[in-house]
Order: sequence, then structure tokens, then C-alpha cells
Amino acid sequence: MRTYLAKRLLLIVPTLLGAAALVFLIMRVIPGDVTLLIFGGDQASQVDPKQLAAMRHRLGLDQPLWVQFASWLWGVLRFDFGTSLWTGRPVIEELLVRLPLSLELAVLATIVSVLLAIPFGMLAAVRQDSWVDYVIRVVSIGGLAIPSFWVGILIILLLVIFFGWGPPLEFTPPWINPWANVQQMIWPVLTVGYRYAAVTTRMTRSTVLEVMREDYIRTAWAKGLRERAIVFRHAMKNAMLPVVTLIGTEFAFLIGGLVVTETVFTLNGVGRFVVDAVAHRDYPVVQALVFLIALSFVVVNLLIDLTYAWFDPRIRYR
Amino acid sequence: MTNGIQPHAKPFTAVALASLMIITSVAAVETWAAETPRRGGVLLAVIGADPPSLDSHQESTFANIQLVAPLYSTLLQYDPYSYPKIIGDAATEWKIAPDGLTYTFKIRQGIRFHDGSPLTAADVKATYDKIIWPPAGVLSIRKAAYSEIERVEVPDAATVVFRLKFPSASLLDNLASPWNVIYPKKYLDKDPNYFKTNVVGSGPFKFKGYTRGSTFEGERNPDYFVKDRPYLDGYKFFISPETSVRASAIRSGRAYVEFRDLPGADVDAIKKQLGDKVAVQETPMTGQWGIAINNTVKPFTDPRVRKALTLGFDRYTASRVLYPLTGLKYVGGLMRAGSDWAMPDADLQKLPGFGKDIEKSRAEARRLLAEAGYPNGLKVVLKNRNVKLPYQDFAVFLIQEWRKIGVEAEHRPLETAAWFSDVQNTGSFELSVAPTVEYADDPDQFLGRYVTGSTQNWGRFSEPRVDDLFSRQARTLDPHERKRLVNELEKIVLENAYYMPGLWWTRKVVHWTKMRNYVAPPNHYTNQKLQDVWLAAD
Repeated sequence: MRTYLAKRLLLIVPTLLGAAALVFLIMRVIPGDVTLLIFGGDQASQVDPKQLAAMRHRLGLDQPLWVQFASWLWGVLRFDFGTSLWTGRPVIEELLVRLPLSLELAVLATIVSVLLAIPFGMLAAVRQDSWVDYVIRVVSIGGLAIPSFWVGILIILLLVIFFGWGPPLEFTPPWINPWANVQQMIWPVLTVGYRYAAVTTRMTRSTVLEVMREDYIRTAWAKGLRERAIVFRHAMKNAMLPVVTLIGTEFAFLIGGLVVTETVFTLNGVGRFVVDAVAHRDYPVVQALVFLIALSFVVVNLLIDLTYAWFDPRIRYR
Repeated sequence: MTNGIQPHAKPFTAVALASLMIITSVAAVETWAAETPRRGGVLLAVIGADPPSLDSHQESTFANIQLVAPLYSTLLQYDPYSYPKIIGDAATEWKIAPDGLTYTFKIRQGIRFHDGSPLTAADVKATYDKIIWPPAGVLSIRKAAYSEIERVEVPDAATVVFRLKFPSASLLDNLASPWNVIYPKKYLDKDPNYFKTNVVGSGPFKFKGYTRGSTFEGERNPDYFVKDRPYLDGYKFFISPETSVRASAIRSGRAYVEFRDLPGADVDAIKKQLGDKVAVQETPMTGQWGIAINNTVKPFTDPRVRKALTLGFDRYTASRVLYPLTGLKYVGGLMRAGSDWAMPDADLQKLPGFGKDIEKSRAEARRLLAEAGYPNGLKVVLKNRNVKLPYQDFAVFLIQEWRKIGVEAEHRPLETAAWFSDVQNTGSFELSVAPTVEYADDPDQFLGRYVTGSTQNWGRFSEPRVDDLFSRQARTLDPHERKRLVNELEKIVLENAYYMPGLWWTRKVVHWTKMRNYVAPPNHYTNQKLQDVWLAAD
């Protein structure tokens, strides 16, 4: 187990390096120039080329690519992600404003998803082709088919039209004002949680159905065990491996992938920050964010792999 | 000498003013004037974007000026209740020498920056020096508007003198620019880019905080130089690029106003739900969406092709269709329809694309295309900014119009940076949607883009007659003669279809009626200081 863990931790390094290098290169080949944007975007062509050159020099953009990349990596090792080209503030400061919100949303949406998806997914499998199964399937397919942002817009509109009430427009951390936090976060959590639960319910249902057809389950039925014991003791744990994988990757996705939902609910999270930074060619911010998102995927995947052993004791790590 | 009034009065100001403000807003001002302003409260507003930077000298977007204008003073300003009348802000009075070459401004005494230091003539000079002659590494996007200024002098701490190379008809308008906020000299001396990320103003509000993508806040400046102002304790903008979010924020009362514009459908829904709790001020806009035609690439080097494109656009139908969707409404030339400078309708309708008989125009367009060697029509690429309102709606309508004359346009929306890069900086385009939005109906502001070599001349054409007329109108102090030159210039550009005007914009400012004393001007840049705005009790 220890060897396995060490190997996995070491593998994180090339994975993150690869992701960082890829983004570094992509940001520099896409059209648009950060120096022009800094000089005002729509009026940028009025700028003297000497001024542009001076700005490129100041930002280090006149250096060879490998020098820029190496300099950035050296900073990362010291937890210094540089300064935003756009705001002039340290990237880490900008990130710390947004990360708590994205983490809260990801954690709460995951909780909602797990609480809904696992019981309903199992119920649908156990009661396959009954009306219960049909209802769960319709609701979950709806969750997959309807975009989250549309559900979000609908929720806001319904609240506004029928109650003349809308969620707060500014994020308040739960430790400052829990009630204000609930008022703002409950709607995006439900919106994201619904889609997330729909995906997970479908997966739970499929895997439980598959497991329920296994020989050892048939044996359990033949032994005269009660349904509850068969489902919870024998089927559930074995069915959970793909479900846990899905939950993990969805969680990592939620950290930086909720651009439109964040926009709809005026949440100043990591997702919007990524898009904003890309639009402004804010290289240090994009690199830091991609690094963060890649890191969250890698860590979550590692945790998922480690939980496999708990769900299936036959799995041994070497 | 003139003292405290505009020396170069605009020709038909009273008429223009009457057409500018809709009846409801004028009536509202009269009602508000009769009320006793209430102190306190924080004005909550929504805005559609973050500012690229906080330095207004370097920016040209509402996302900058609406946020920072309340924090600063300017030398002059447009009267909040009487656009386009110019009044003083930091300046109490001004005199213009009879030869029009010297402008002398007296600076109000007792103005203090938010760091406690006094605002003097030296700060005004440092500000204008930065704008007119920016140091290396500093952008000043409006410096071309001050080319007539030879130098700025400070004979004493309370006097600023602008010395001109030649008389200028637009100087006072340019000095009333909301973008020319006054910065303290000592910070500019240390770092001319200091104000891109910092705020030290002398306006009615002090900077409180800014979180990109979330909020921008100001709080009451207790030492503001106008006695008993501002009425508000502060203001707070919530930033959201999503139109439906901003509209919902108004509907739910989470915000009281959206200063730029909301689509007609949203405004109607808000009005229907909230009734008398909200007011809608609709004004024309000093902004137009048209088509930049790259005059340097074939087949657009041929005036017949360019003319065919403009003839093939039914502006009058477009106005009816696009107005409810986008606010694009008025048919006009290069100066705002209905403004002092606009060409008379009868003259305009004689120019290509402005006639009311669209079938006749389309037949002429097809004939010109055939004559130019395209009897079966042609394929073109129309580049655009990937912003829906009104860029893409306008383009979609235009494309189906062009189809009727055999022009197949491929619509290619681009991300903003790529769009600017292709269309403005490198000229890598055939046709592009091109907005023209300024803060006042000033010919220098609107027509400078048609001059040879102007960076705003996206069509990259060169017409010596236009250059000459632009230069002459800028120096002509008689408003009637200036208007004649302006209209002559317009006629040359439109007859040759160097550029293709689309429609002039309108804006609908919807706000809760408890927000008092705000009159929407015909642009979203001026009257944003909020010093006289107050909030009525619920």
C-alpha cells in the first residue's frame, strides 16, 4: 500500500507538469495579445509599438518560451503563482477570494447528489420496471437532458415572478452570515445537485442491476436471505466502485467547470474566473487555475483509488 | 470674452434637448425637484462587465466609467439635467480669448482629494499632460482629441490655461469628457499607471472596495466640495455579464438600476410586474452599429460592390424588427439621427441605402453587382464580436437582407480579443460589424474615424476630401458653417460607401422610482457621478 501511494504521489508531478506545459503553450498560440488588451483593447492600435515592446519586456513576454515556463514553475514551487496581468494583484489572493465559494458549492452539490442518487438509484434497480423505476428514470433523464443553467434561470425567474424575491447577488461565506449564505447557495446547490444526482442515479441503477444478476446474489436469494440484507450487505458495496469514480470526477469538475451556473447565480467562483482570465489572456491566472484544477482531479482520483479497497477488500495495492 | 457659458453654442440645442429626453423623464425631474431629498441609503446597481482597468484615461467602456465616475472630479461636465449644456465641476468659471487660442479656467477652492491633499491647478495640468502627452508605457486613447492644444500652463494654484495652436470648435466638449477625471499629481509623478489599479479621487464618493467579477463599492465622501452632497451613504454595483440575471436583480429589488441598457422584453416584463414601483427612461443613444468595409481588399476596392451592400440593407424595416429586440432604432448617417448635426432626412434619403423604396434599391444593388462582375452575387465573410446584444442580432438581420441581392455572408463571431486583433489591428477581414459609441454628439468624436490613417478607420480608406473637411470643421467656430461641412463630409463617405451605417441605438434605463434625481442622458457615460441622486423611503 505504501509503495503504491508513493508511486501515485510521484506520478502527480509529471501529470501536473504536462497539464501546465500544455496550457502554457495553448495560451500563447491562440489569437490575441495580452499587451494589446492591457493597452485598452478596442483602442489598442493607437499604441506606439515601442510602448508595446516595453510592456512585453516588463511582463517577461519577450523571453524565450522555455525561460518563461521555467520561471513560472520556480514560482509555483514557492507557492508564488505570479501577479495577475489584469488586476495587478497576486494570483493567490485572487484565487483565495473565489476558492471557498467553489469548494462550498462542490461539496454541497456532492452531498445533495449522494443523498438523492444512491437511494433512488438502488430503489430503481431493485424495483426495475415498476412505476417507481419509471418515475425515477424520467426524473433522472430530465436532469441529464436539461442544462443546469437553464434550470437555474428558471428557478430565479419563478422566485422573482411568484414571490418577488431573488437570491442575494453577493457571496457571503457561511462563517460570516450563515443565513445569507444559505439564501444564496441553496439554489445553485439544488440546480447543480439535480444534474449531478441524475448522472449518479443512472450509474447507481445500472451497476446495481448488473450486480443483482451475479451468481453470488442468486446464491444469497437461494439461501433465503431477506431482500434488505441482499441489497445493502451484498450488492451495494460491489456496485459502488463505478459510482464512487463518477462522484469523484464530477466533484473535481465542479471546482472549475461551472461557468454558466456561476454566471446565472452571480457566484464569483473559479469557473467564471477561468473564462475571464482566458478572455483577457491573463496567463499567470490561467496557468494557476489550470494547475489547481488538474491538481484537484489528480488528488480526487487518488482518493477514489484508495477507497476502492474499502469497498472491495479483494483489491490489493502494490 | 465669455464667462462660464459655452462660446460655441450648438445650433439647435433647445430642439435637440426636447427630442432627447422622453416626456416621462422630464416630468420626473419636475416632480423630484419639488421633493425634499432624503439622506442615507446605498444605491444598489447592476452592471454587465468588469472594468479592464480603473484608469478612465486609458479605457473606453461603460464598465469603467460607471463604476469610477462617482469617485472623481472633472474640470467641466455635462449638466446632469440639461444635456448637452456644459457646466463647471472643478472649474468655477472660464474665459476664452477672442482669437479662440487661450482658455483660462479658475479652479474651485477647497476641493480635497480623498487622501486629504488639496486639488490645485497643478493636478489639473498633470492630468491633462498625461492625457495629451502620455509618457512612455502609458496609453491615452483620447489624446488625438486634444491635438489643437499646444501647452497647458499653471500661472497660479487656482488657474489653468490651455494654449491652442488653432481655434477648436470642440475643446469645451472634450474638456467636459467624463473620462478626463482629475488625478493627484504626486501619484502620477511616481507612477503614471498608478490609477489602473488604485483610486484617489475628489468626487462625491470614496473608493470602498472592488472584487473582480462580483462587486464595486463607494462610500460617501464627507468632505465633498459641494455642500450637503452626496445624499447617498454609498453605492454598490453588482457585476454580472448575464442579462437575465441583471433583469431579475431589478425585478426582485436586489438592485435599483441598470444604467446601460436592458432589452425591451425584459424592461416590459419588469414594468408589468412592478408597475409604478419602477420608471423607464428611454433615450436616444450617441451610438451606432454599422458595417466596416475593408476598402483595401477585393472586391471591396470597387465602389459598386460597396454601394450594393449598403443599398441591399432595408434600414426602415430593420428599425421596426430590431428595435424591440435590441434597441437599434433610428435611421441616420454618420451623426446621430435627431441631433443638431444630423443631415436632414430629405438629403439623407437621396444617398445610397437610405431611400424608402427598398425594391428600387435592391434592383440597383443587383445591377451594380452585375456591372462589377458578380451577376450571380458573391460570397463574403462578416466578422463579428461574439456578443449577442446588439452585435449578433444586427448581423443576423443584415445577412438575410443581403441574401435578397445575392450576397451570401458567412457570419463569423469571434471572441473579443481575436475580433479586435483581426478587424482593428491587422485588418484581416472583409466586412465586420462596427460599433461607434461616443459620450457626446460632437463631430470631432464621431468623424475622426473617417480620416486617413486614423486607428479608428477600420475600413482603411483614404479620401483627401474627407480629411480636408474634417480638419476644416474642427476649426470652424460658427455652428451653422460647421454643420454644413459636417454634412458635406458625411455625404462623401456615404455616397462612396466607404463605411456602411446601420442603425442608431436607443437605451432604456429602468430603475426603481425610489431612486430619485437621475436623468438618463443620451449615452451611458455622462451623468454618472451620482452626487444628486437620493433614495426615497420604501
